[in-house]
Amino acid sequence: MTSKIKLYDVTLRDGSHAISHQLSEQQIEAYAQLIDKTGIYAIEVGHGNGLGASSVLVGKSKLSDELIIKTAKNNLQNTKLGIHVIPGFATINKDIKNALSWGVDIVRVASHCTEADTTEKHIGYVREKGKEAYGLLMMSHMATPEILLDEAIKMQTYGAEAIVILDSAGSYLPNDVRERISLLSQNLNVPVGFHAHNNLGLAISNSLVAIEAGAQIIDGAVKGFGAGAGNAQLEVLVALLEKMKYNTNIDLYKILDAADMVENKLIKEPISISSLSIVSAIAGVFSGFSKHVKRVSKEFGVDPRDVFMELGHQKIVAGQEDTIIDIAIKLQKRD
Amino acid sequence: MFLFNLTENEALNLEKLKNKEILITGGSGFIGIWLTQLLLYLNDKFNFNVKLYLVARNEDSEISSIMVNRKDVTFIKSDIRNLREFPKNISYIIHAATSPDNRVYMSNPIESMDIIANGTKSVMENALQLENLEKVINLSSGQIYGALNSHNISEDDFGKLNSNSITAIYPEAKRYAETLTNAYRSLHKVPVVQVRPFSFIGPYMSLNKPWAVNNFIRDALKFKNIRILGNGKPVRSYMYPTDMALWILNILVHGQVGAAYNLGSDMGVSLEEVALKIKNIIGSSVNIDILNMNDNCSEFVPNIDHVKQELGLNITVDIDEALKRSIDWFSKNSL
Repeated sequence: MTSKIKLYDVTLRDGSHAISHQLSEQQIEAYAQLIDKTGIYAIEVGHGNGLGASSVLVGKSKLSDELIIKTAKNNLQNTKLGIHVIPGFATINKDIKNALSWGVDIVRVASHCTEADTTEKHIGYVREKGKEAYGLLMMSHMATPEILLDEAIKMQTYGAEAIVILDSAGSYLPNDVRERISLLSQNLNVPVGFHAHNNLGLAISNSLVAIEAGAQIIDGAVKGFGAGAGNAQLEVLVALLEKMKYNTNIDLYKILDAADMVENKLIKEPISISSLSIVSAIAGVFSGFSKHVKRVSKEFGVDPRDVFMELGHQKIVAGQEDTIIDIAIKLQKRD
Repeated sequence: MFLFNLTENEALNLEKLKNKEILITGGSGFIGIWLTQLLLYLNDKFNFNVKLYLVARNEDSEISSIMVNRKDVTFIKSDIRNLREFPKNISYIIHAATSPDNRVYMSNPIESMDIIANGTKSVMENALQLENLEKVINLSSGQIYGALNSHNISEDDFGKLNSNSITAIYPEAKRYAETLTNAYRSLHKVPVVQVRPFSFIGPYMSLNKPWAVNNFIRDALKFKNIRILGNGKPVRSYMYPTDMALWILNILVHGQVGAAYNLGSDMGVSLEEVALKIKNIIGSSVNIDILNMNDNCSEFVPNIDHVKQELGLNITVDIDEALKRSIDWFSKNSL
């Protein structure tokens, strides 16, 4: 396997979760201008749940998809522009067709880790339009490595040019990552990627394990700006890879400039590992649920940690946010 | 029609088909369309007086336009699994139902395996009722050879096929179909010949099928850009469909009952070479990106000595001419 590593920046997409999808035009513009000088392969923009996801259920976005994408595109010359697409939220004709016309280069089509077959038409459409299509398997800890491989092979067959597995709950131990990335990179013809969350403080080290196991694409967010406890901190990854003699073609000082800007202008409160993030990782629940769980728990007067544990028990996944209220009511009655 | 130009001798070799009734399952597929065109050409130019029956679930526009004002072709709209009686004077059957598009097998694995297994059983049961039956071709697949890395795969070479992998759905079902048809040959003396197709390129294919050469042509014509994810070293071979159709009819007439024949070209060519050839045909404005994201150097090319020696057939359209004719057709018909 070659030693090429592509760093993929999800700051302006996963970070949307951290501020309830309230990114402003000025923030996107300022960030895109800075990141474009760093040498980063691609940045992803949009609502935290991706294209077409702005809704009462998962949170309304301050800006339209069109404005987000066009603003980013207008400020990028070197770095590619990516979007996150979950079939169901995003449709081909209503959303993807327009997004491509606004200048998107990479479409990352995501499904729950056992539902790759929902991505066939979306991946096929992107390839037919000559753009890069990736397949993403979310909540990948919920499937065995063997099942993940089956689902990854499906996405590869549909035309995905890379397969990225997401530790959406931030619950992986290093060996979980090694086992899955090794199996996928040894059995797929396309590059394998890893997307970490930092609920257990392992986002950076798990990303390095993924690279050792054969991953060629690593997701990160500047300042770790992402859902829940955040993602692998991008500028730390860049520094580490430089120290480890990987050639990423990224200018460390410039990515540090971008990090300072994010700290000053994007983040309302520092991304940290909250008690709830730890509980959500142990429960194996999507990190993006944190804000909803906190709000609903307060409203119903129940312990948010109990809500997370019950969500994990019921194997609830992103898109099923309305279950949080059902669980809170159940817990309230029990108490 | 411009697609075929047979000599008197080539037509003479097929003379046994004169005044016969032939049934093709999968009649509206790529192979069905080309066989139909060749048989109609033989009727028109050499007075073969063949009566042709095409069985398929849907009458696609390509086959409809070929059949316009033809009294020598009858379309039977049916799922092959449900067809209870073939026209009683059929002498030859070519069982070409089922697409080799792996996306279908990934998304609908159980239904797909059922079509191959029970569709083939239905063909055999119907064949038992035919008094004038002379030969049945079961169109199998080069994929039944499993994981072989060779530029010289003969009919007796078998590699590993992991039946516990999702990638085994199509090849395993095709192996079952070969074994099943051979069981009918053994028990009921149905005159079955196995034909194992490899890769083709030519008119009437869809450029959106998940195969490298199709995608290269599509991307070169539409976007002037060919992306090769790996190192461009894997070697494949491509047969032009005029050769394909002529070979199948020759095997139908002269093939030994119980034998298996590879169907494909033995002229191996790397993916990088294919991309360069496409660029040379379309023009220097086409860009080729070799992304080097994997080290795959696999080879998958058939040995076709069996057909050459036993039936005296040859490849008459080489890869350069095949690409030239294909690109010419696709640029007029398919974009």
